[in-house]
Amino acid sequence: MLALQILIDGFAISSLYALGATGFTLIFGVSGVLNLSHGAIMVVAAVIAWWVAGTFGAGPYLGALAGIGASLACSFFTYRVIVRPIQNSPSLPREEKEIFVLTGTLLWGIMLQEALAYLFTNNPKTVRPLIEGVVMIFGVRTPLNEILTAALSWAAIGLLYLLVNRTRTGKSLLAASMNPRGLTLLGFELSRIYVLVWAIYGVLAGIAGVLLGAFLGVSSDNAGTLTASAFSIVVLGGLGSVPGSLIAAYVVGYLETMTAYLVSPSIRTVPVLLLLVAVVYVRPQGLLGRR
Amino acid sequence: MLKSRTFQFVVPALLVLVLLPLGVGGYILGLLTLAYYYAVFAMSWDLLFGFAGEVNFGPSFLIGVGAYTAALLNHYWMWPIPACLAAGAVAAVIGGAVLAVPALRLTGPYFGLVTLVAVLLLQNMLVLFAGITGGEIGLDLPDVLSIDDKTNYYYALAFMTISGAILFGLSQSPVGLILQASGQDAIEAAALGFNVAKHKLAAFCISAFFSGLAGAMLIFYLGTASVGTVVDIAVGVNVIIAAVLGGRRTIIGAAVGAIFLIGAGEILRPLGQLSTFVVSAVALVVILFFPSGFMGRILHAGGRE
Amino acid sequence: MTALLEVNGLTKRFGGLVAVNDIGFTINAGEILGLIGPNGSGKSTVMKCIMGIEKPNAGSVKLDGTDVAGWPTHRIARHGVGIVFQHARPLHRQTILEHIKLALLPDNLLMLFTDHGITRRAEEIAERVGLGQVMHRLPRTLPFADLRRLELAKAIARNPKVVLVDEPFAGLTAGEVADFSALIGSFRAEGHAVLLVDHNVKGVAALVDRVLAMYLGEKIAEGSADDVMRNETVRRVYLGGKIETANRPDRAGKDRTPLLDVRGLGVLYGKATALDDVSIHIGEGEFVSVVGLNGAGKTTLFNAISGLVPFSGSVNWRGETLEGKTPGAIARGGIVQCPETRELFGDMSIRENLDLGGQHQTVAEAAKQLEWLFGLFPILKARQTQAARTLSGGEQQMLAIARALMMKPKLLILDEPTLGLAPVILEQLSKALETLRQTTDITVLLGEQNVTFALPHADRVYVIEHSRIVWEGDPGRFAEEAGAGYL
Repeated sequence: MLALQILIDGFAISSLYALGATGFTLIFGVSGVLNLSHGAIMVVAAVIAWWVAGTFGAGPYLGALAGIGASLACSFFTYRVIVRPIQNSPSLPREEKEIFVLTGTLLWGIMLQEALAYLFTNNPKTVRPLIEGVVMIFGVRTPLNEILTAALSWAAIGLLYLLVNRTRTGKSLLAASMNPRGLTLLGFELSRIYVLVWAIYGVLAGIAGVLLGAFLGVSSDNAGTLTASAFSIVVLGGLGSVPGSLIAAYVVGYLETMTAYLVSPSIRTVPVLLLLVAVVYVRPQGLLGRR
Repeated sequence: MLKSRTFQFVVPALLVLVLLPLGVGGYILGLLTLAYYYAVFAMSWDLLFGFAGEVNFGPSFLIGVGAYTAALLNHYWMWPIPACLAAGAVAAVIGGAVLAVPALRLTGPYFGLVTLVAVLLLQNMLVLFAGITGGEIGLDLPDVLSIDDKTNYYYALAFMTISGAILFGLSQSPVGLILQASGQDAIEAAALGFNVAKHKLAAFCISAFFSGLAGAMLIFYLGTASVGTVVDIAVGVNVIIAAVLGGRRTIIGAAVGAIFLIGAGEILRPLGQLSTFVVSAVALVVILFFPSGFMGRILHAGGRE
Repeated sequence: MTALLEVNGLTKRFGGLVAVNDIGFTINAGEILGLIGPNGSGKSTVMKCIMGIEKPNAGSVKLDGTDVAGWPTHRIARHGVGIVFQHARPLHRQTILEHIKLALLPDNLLMLFTDHGITRRAEEIAERVGLGQVMHRLPRTLPFADLRRLELAKAIARNPKVVLVDEPFAGLTAGEVADFSALIGSFRAEGHAVLLVDHNVKGVAALVDRVLAMYLGEKIAEGSADDVMRNETVRRVYLGGKIETANRPDRAGKDRTPLLDVRGLGVLYGKATALDDVSIHIGEGEFVSVVGLNGAGKTTLFNAISGLVPFSGSVNWRGETLEGKTPGAIARGGIVQCPETRELFGDMSIRENLDLGGQHQTVAEAAKQLEWLFGLFPILKARQTQAARTLSGGEQQMLAIARALMMKPKLLILDEPTLGLAPVILEQLSKALETLRQTTDITVLLGEQNVTFALPHADRVYVIEHSRIVWEGDPGRFAEEAGAGYL
């Protein structure tokens, strides 16, 4: 019984992690940025969704849309105001640009987190689920919402896959992650590609945030842990590899769920951290990493 | 030339700081005391980053190791303060050496991640073994440095000044030059005949020594050791921001940045929740528009032509 | 007398690739050896093995009798080898003198104060290399030639037995080259052994005592500079064989307004001069070859035209300036470059690479273009689902050209398409280019080191050497006028 519970919960959490990590990897692969405001953007989506749906009274669907819109706005801000100016800055030597981008996104993430706490307090909020009710899976009471979370996560990942592999625009994104200069030589404007990829990221992070809000609830305090999770998953799976992130998301999700159920919820991140240390020492490129 | 510009700034500033207790109340002194310990954290970080070129995202790992070693020894075995401080510093140096090993084999984001993970692991372990360590609430210490505000202030000021002098002196010395060359281009430095690994390890250990010692002194000032004050990621983030704000590769800048950060956080306290927001926003603006930080502009304006 | 540097049986493999195969040579005190080879010949790897930056798989490197192969770099340096890297970067906040002092410091953790002996010695060295007037200035304020002098100063600071110099004259103007030659010559006079690594013999001919030429990891010739320049194998490797030209039919409208008009082009990489007052023009339908060795400046020229590097001077396309346009816009405007590095999307299939080339057209147009290209390069059609990374060199080159052609360019720029390809593939490429010329009105700008490949198709030829155009004219006259001194 417990095993089944772990299996189901683990699956749902992992799917959510997978969605978040995919967005994170996408930004790293194409734009070269490890976005430390990732968790904060997800929380923004969740909190705005909660606010619009509940306090504002517009219902869960409009709330979700508003949440995704908010994360999209944050994503653009991150790119245009923080990442792009630093990457193009003439006064910074090349080796230092990375740490400045990291610090910049970190600070922006903190700003978002604090703004949310100020405007909405840091009490945990739960977004009203899009679907209510429970269902019995082999004797385990499972909220329909949980199943929806997993389903929607995979739907989003699936759509992304189709976009990248089947459409012209998507293929140019894939090409940008392989060889940006090659794309320039073929007449593409890289600046437009970057805008597109940050837009997709904003939507993915938004969906992940809203789903998280409905499934487990969020508070502005979660922002840092969410970023750390995404970061860990992406490194475990291999920086820049989306399939790697997907697999790693499940490894991390299940490891956390099992630890939470079998040992104690308060140390659920420890086995993952130990695994991370081991990986970084033994196989730094992760499972399927290219770079 | 650089030296004299720095002196022109530092000597008057120190004079002011020394005379401050004559005209200022205990609350502000307490604030500055905290700031001075942060200054040492930040200066140690700048030696590692600005000179050896190693980005440490988890300086609070070294600070925490030093602090908790001293705390546990004092709380359970009643070791006298100086012994605890020494032990804390040594423990931190060992920690620094442990971090240095992957640093020499990994590059870029991977090494940064290791430092971050080190902090998270330490934090989790401390919380896990809360029975021994006091967890989130913290460990009470039987001894403190002093009960008097002024005495504590002068301890901290003296510590910051001496540490700063040593770290700055190192950065300007031939050893500092070799470190800088190693950080910028390890192969070229090796081609000039320098054992880069040895020098980077030394940089880690020196940075760890001062961070750990400062962490240990801090907890004896506060009277308790808790995760929130010495290990939390937020502590590390503040240290990094202080060093970058103040101006990387200046050492002195890191101290200025730390004092500014603590001071700003305090001045903005009436804003309540928003104070962190405003400080972060200011830091972001500085990073975007003045990447060489406060001191960077002042100290190196003379070097430009 | 033992040679100061004696290399024997040096071999280095990177995975399956043999970069250096059984290379051996000696350099005595007071001798300068030139190690010459085109890109990919292994000359840089040899230098790195000597310096300990790469560990050789086999062979010995004897420094004044002691075998240092496999030692860590800093130990080799302390044992008596100084190196001047091509792309060295100085520290921003230290003066010239402080840089030289750094080179004189012992590898000591405890050195807290510089002693006066070191400072005095550093000043002497600064004077020696001609930096006496500027030794208290910051690198940022000095011209490129002085920065190169600084690198030389650092390399000889501890009086090493052997000095390695990578591309000694790269980035220097013609005038500066003479000064530098003299400086390096003076090292020889002092009894050092000097190894110069470079792309071409001509540049270092006056300076070296002997030359060793490499190609694809092997030694192909050794001897005096003249002997090597005349050596059959060397000329074949560099020039592609005997210089022949076919009779070209006169192109109608050859003297119309140029399609591409480049005037007074100058390009700096940091402070290094990459192009110096270069002017070329291409008329509609013309096939122009720019011939020159690796490092002469062909790629820089093409990158300037394509908008990938900033430049001074003017570049006009169809009467309008290209200044200020993004590289993407320039490519869409009709100038498509197929670079030396090919820049393929390795993990994508041939088909996907080609499709990306056709992105700006309608699906129908792109399909038609694709069909035509498959006709031109049948092997691409056969392997269209294969990943680009797994293709052979020749197939990758064909893919790169085909992909560029998908864009229906008005001007196709080809940068060193023959690099590293077998003669059989060169035949196929040559035929494809011929078909292209005869069936379309495309204009082509070809940059090549391989003169045999470049001449037969060309209407006009430019010769570029060390950042300047040194000859322009009819391919027929090339053999008599420029061909002899080419190498």
